[in-house]
Amino acid sequence: MSSALLPPFPEPGFSFENVERNVSLVKKGFKPPKFTSTGTTVAAAIFDGGIIIGTDKRASAGTIVANKNTNKIHKISNNIAFGGAGTAADCDQMEKMVRAHVELHRLNSGKQVPVCVALTKITQHLFRYQGHIQCALIVGGVDKFGYHLHHVYPHGSSSEVLFEAMGSGSLAAISHLELNYKQNMNLDEAKLLIRNAILAGVENDLASGNGIDLCIITPSGMEHLVDYEIPVAFV
Amino acid sequence: MFKEMQSLANAQMTDASPHKVAGFYPYADNGGTLAAIAGDGFVVIGGDTRLTTGYQIYSREASKLTKLTDKTIIGSCGCWCDSLTFTKGLHIRLQYYLYENNKPISTNATAQLVSNMLYQKRFFPYYVSTIVAGLDADNQGAVYSYDPVGSTERHRYRAQGTAGSLIQPFLDCVLGRGNQTAPEPEKLTKEQAMIYLKDAFMSAAEREIGCGDFLQIMIVTPQGVEEERFKLRKD
Amino acid sequence: MALQELLQLEKHASFGLKSVDDVELSEEIEELNSEKLTQLPITPFTMNKNVQLRDSNTGRHIHINMEKGTTTLAFKYQGGVVIAVDSRATGGDFIFSGSVKKIIEINKYLLGTMAGGAADCSYWHRSLTVRCRMYELRNKERISVAAASKLLANILYNYKGMGLSMGTMIIGWDKRGPGLYYVDDSGSRYSGDLFSAGSGSPFAFGVVDTHWKYDMTDEEAYELGRRAVYQATYRDAASGGIVRVYGMKPTGWVKISEQDCKVLHYKYADEKMV
Repeated sequence: MSSALLPPFPEPGFSFENVERNVSLVKKGFKPPKFTSTGTTVAAAIFDGGIIIGTDKRASAGTIVANKNTNKIHKISNNIAFGGAGTAADCDQMEKMVRAHVELHRLNSGKQVPVCVALTKITQHLFRYQGHIQCALIVGGVDKFGYHLHHVYPHGSSSEVLFEAMGSGSLAAISHLELNYKQNMNLDEAKLLIRNAILAGVENDLASGNGIDLCIITPSGMEHLVDYEIPVAFV
Repeated sequence: MFKEMQSLANAQMTDASPHKVAGFYPYADNGGTLAAIAGDGFVVIGGDTRLTTGYQIYSREASKLTKLTDKTIIGSCGCWCDSLTFTKGLHIRLQYYLYENNKPISTNATAQLVSNMLYQKRFFPYYVSTIVAGLDADNQGAVYSYDPVGSTERHRYRAQGTAGSLIQPFLDCVLGRGNQTAPEPEKLTKEQAMIYLKDAFMSAAEREIGCGDFLQIMIVTPQGVEEERFKLRKD
Repeated sequence: MALQELLQLEKHASFGLKSVDDVELSEEIEELNSEKLTQLPITPFTMNKNVQLRDSNTGRHIHINMEKGTTTLAFKYQGGVVIAVDSRATGGDFIFSGSVKKIIEINKYLLGTMAGGAADCSYWHRSLTVRCRMYELRNKERISVAAASKLLANILYNYKGMGLSMGTMIIGWDKRGPGLYYVDDSGSRYSGDLFSAGSGSPFAFGVVDTHWKYDMTDEEAYELGRRAVYQATYRDAASGGIVRVYGMKPTGWVKISEQDCKVLHYKYADEKMV
């Protein structure tokens, strides 16, 4: 059922019908609108009980704060999550797509889905679009093979890491991690490490701020600590 | 020296140059926000103390306000090196004025001098937003604002700089009261002006990533200049 | 300085200047600024349109917004000249000011209008004010409108092609009666009965061309100028604010009215409904 007034349901996936039009508009001097960017500090580490991921809470459009309470920790299943930096919409859609894929996989196999399944889905999807999907992610999770932490760049490259920072505040955060990361940390040490790493990004990077979210994944489940800390000086 | 510079610059600029040489980028945008409110017998001027480049912070304690005389303050922001050079040159001109006339310069004479000095650099402008605030001959508050090449006007209140486009509409609402039917408020007091100024900068720091750290306020009355500092967000 | 020599002070000593650098800078500025009002230092390189201004650290483009966007209008009729302007200054999409004085009072018998770069117009009209006053003192008579406008045109011709932006009318009353000249940044200068400059000028021209008559009364002429600028503020986003109307009479200029264009809008809207 479709007519000129009632268009058909769109095909799944991206529509490229405006690409050429937009390219010609830009050539004529039209200024494309700004996307909301997470302008983020994301930091994550493996500790001796599982995975911890932390993010700040600011989203910006240019130099304006677009959202002061942004969720940048994206839950894929109860054993996998990722912290996302880049274009906010791309990270959100990535979460939706991968979550659906992983859930179907779980229903088909009847088993907990390993982290590598989500990771492969993400990297293949990103590679297919050659960096046009602007997501820089830290994917973390716990499965029967152990604890896993991977970073993923927008073009689809990835590697497994013990700790990592991403986003515009990553320089400040990674220096804190490099200095203070230890193997076999307990949960409290890990929380403090990630909190301080995010704080370094929040203080030194203008595009990061407004508070800290944490997500802790252990074999017994996932704990999402929204507004883990809103430092007094920032309120 | 001049000729050397000219030939060097021309070699870089002209299309005829056979070599592709890196361009000449004499300006930097170091952000900063200024606002001033005038009243009967007082004027208050505020500037944030954050100095930035891109998403980085150069300094959290860079004062953008300079006391020129007991009745006149200048605020200058934009390209920091231009701000420093301009206010330094202005200081010297005011010293000359003092020695030649044996009296401190008046606020409105300063205002005209600032305009002329900015226009002297019409073909290689100082990249600065400027506000001159002070008391006029009748001890009324006066606020003069400038574009980078010295176009000037006297206002009752004015905001300039990175968050100028956020603060000016707020001041237009509470002080200009255009198109409003509510009864006119009582005469603006110094205390009320200070509250508006702090509110304006607090709100701007919430939504503009380049505005924050501290608000430095200078209050000019016939008794002299007082200074106050007010904490803003640091993230 | 003479006083300094008289007191046999060491040059620059005790003047509170911190370093030798300060002294050199101050001398340079003094030379540039005080005597030579019409001589601006030129950049040691060509700041033409090909030079892109970027942030030296981030590489982002830097825009130096100079205030632009205007409607200015002046026309002759039997009683003299009517001058009408708006008061909005814009830079990009932002309204810098809604209360600019775009009619510049050069002296009692001379007015200038401001269109293009606000700083360019106000600076050169100020410089013109000085020159007109000097002419009066030297020649013991007022400068003619033709001569005043030519002084300005000559300055602008000297800076031709260097990026000044001005479209200005010089209006006055002299021995020859009412004078109206248009001078712009290319250095050209025309005498005429009707000029309008700025982004809203097509709308203002439309109104004045339709309704102009030589025999108008003063009131009719002022109303025509006011209406023309109002219509321009209505259709041109870069024009707005206060509609200012001045008249040029044998006794010098007179300020006729300064009304918010919102007030005019509802006044004219009411008149249509009747």
